[in-house]
Amino acid sequence: MKYIFLYLDPGSGSYILQVIIAAILGGLMFFKNFWIKVKSFFIKPKEKTAEPEEQDDTTA
Amino acid sequence: MNPEISSHAASYKDRDGFIFKHRDNFYRCINASYFDNYRLLMQSGLYTQLTKKKWLIPHEEIAGNAELNAEGTIIILPQQIQYISYAYEWGFVMWQDAALLTLNIAREAIEKGMLLKDATPFNIQFINGKPVFIDTLSFEQYNAQQPWVAYRQFCECFVAPLLLQQYCHAEMGKLFTVYPNGIPLELVKSLLPSNAKWNLHNYLHVYLQASVRNGKEKQNTAAAKNFSKQKMLVLLNGLSNYIAKLHPKKGKTTWDDYYDGTILSNNYLQEKTKLVQSFTNSVSFNSIVDLGANDGHFSLLFKNTGKQIVAVDADVNCINALYEKIKKEKITNILPLINTLNSPTPAIGWNNAERTAFSERIKGDMVFALALVHHLAIGCNVPLHLIASWLLPMGKYVLIEFVPKADEKVQLLLQNREDVFDKYTLVDFETVFLQHYKILLQQKISGTERTLYLMEKI
Repeated sequence: MKYIFLYLDPGSGSYILQVIIAAILGGLMFFKNFWIKVKSFFIKPKEKTAEPEEQDDTTA
Repeated sequence: MNPEISSHAASYKDRDGFIFKHRDNFYRCINASYFDNYRLLMQSGLYTQLTKKKWLIPHEEIAGNAELNAEGTIIILPQQIQYISYAYEWGFVMWQDAALLTLNIAREAIEKGMLLKDATPFNIQFINGKPVFIDTLSFEQYNAQQPWVAYRQFCECFVAPLLLQQYCHAEMGKLFTVYPNGIPLELVKSLLPSNAKWNLHNYLHVYLQASVRNGKEKQNTAAAKNFSKQKMLVLLNGLSNYIAKLHPKKGKTTWDDYYDGTILSNNYLQEKTKLVQSFTNSVSFNSIVDLGANDGHFSLLFKNTGKQIVAVDADVNCINALYEKIKKEKITNILPLINTLNSPTPAIGWNNAERTAFSERIKGDMVFALALVHHLAIGCNVPLHLIASWLLPMGKYVLIEFVPKADEKVQLLLQNREDVFDKYTLVDFETVFLQHYKILLQQKISGTERTLYLMEKI
């Protein structure tokens, strides 16, 4: 293990990374939400019919 | 303040305050440097909100006590905790729940204009079956332009141990004993299998950060000033979703099916359970230390009774399963802990005093040592007199089972080794224990050669 950087403040090393990570995760979330919207647009009617079936299962 | 009052050995890092013990109670002294943050915590509604959810330990302010109060300080008396445990004694899910609690608190705090300045599992204790944040001084005013100062610490103290337990071995949490301030990410990277880096979140939170420590990335804190509340919430939510999906490495352990063995049949368990119930009914006690608790069968006999129980076992799968049960059934009085009893968790940290040893911390009125003595005496070569003197300071009563050599489980322990245990007989056992204890009750467990004793310290 390299000990050269032991004098670095342990927190500060991750500051710039957090900017990058937040951007990547933010982007990922954007596409995920977008995909969910696209999916729900197409399969919305199916979900509605599935709900009563699930309820039937729990009461049976 | 009373000059005899000094800070607790674990409370030296924070300039904003310290913990101290005074007449059996633990208090927290808050220094003037933290007053603004303390007022914000109390007046913003964050304290009320977090304590209402039982996420943060409640406290009361002490005023007008000449012995405790000093000028320029605030003294608070937090809810007292009977059993302190450390992350390296927790099962995977306990660690995971502690991580999620830290993130949840960070998110709530942001909404009230505060943030956590550190993120270590030592800030969390399990109270009434649930993790509770105990460091009232961890909150500081939130600056939306700054990233999370505790992010790297969070990764080293929560993400790293969880990942090692998921990818390498279920017992890797024990590595935290060696690195209680966080497992270095470079070390984590070298231990993880190569396929771990193909997960984007693993890559971001471990591999990428490890490379910063290596110096491959230039430090540029100025660029980080573009941070925002929205970015912070994305980071915290991303971490929460990621951690919630982690799971412990699957693998069968020694004690997974202990009671499925031949002699350890339902009948044996039923007989022993009856005896344990009738023996324990004969004396009064408020707490139990269940040593070698396995799946917690005997601890669970006392669930939600008001007796505080610590169930200890070396088997991580057993402790994980017990914690899952506690969660599912909302059991409030059992604390399950991983510990190898022939080498319990030591005193560690600064001056070997920061985190106390298991034997110093975990004591009860009643000690259960059920089907344990033969493992220590024959499996680990610990002489009977040392077992007796080890149990002695742990509690007033001991409920102990003697398993003789004729027992098939002892035969199993002896099958591949020379029998050098001349002094392991029922007579030897009683002789040794009667030097320290008096026998209150004893009975053979029907259908076996095993004997159960209830003893009281002389």
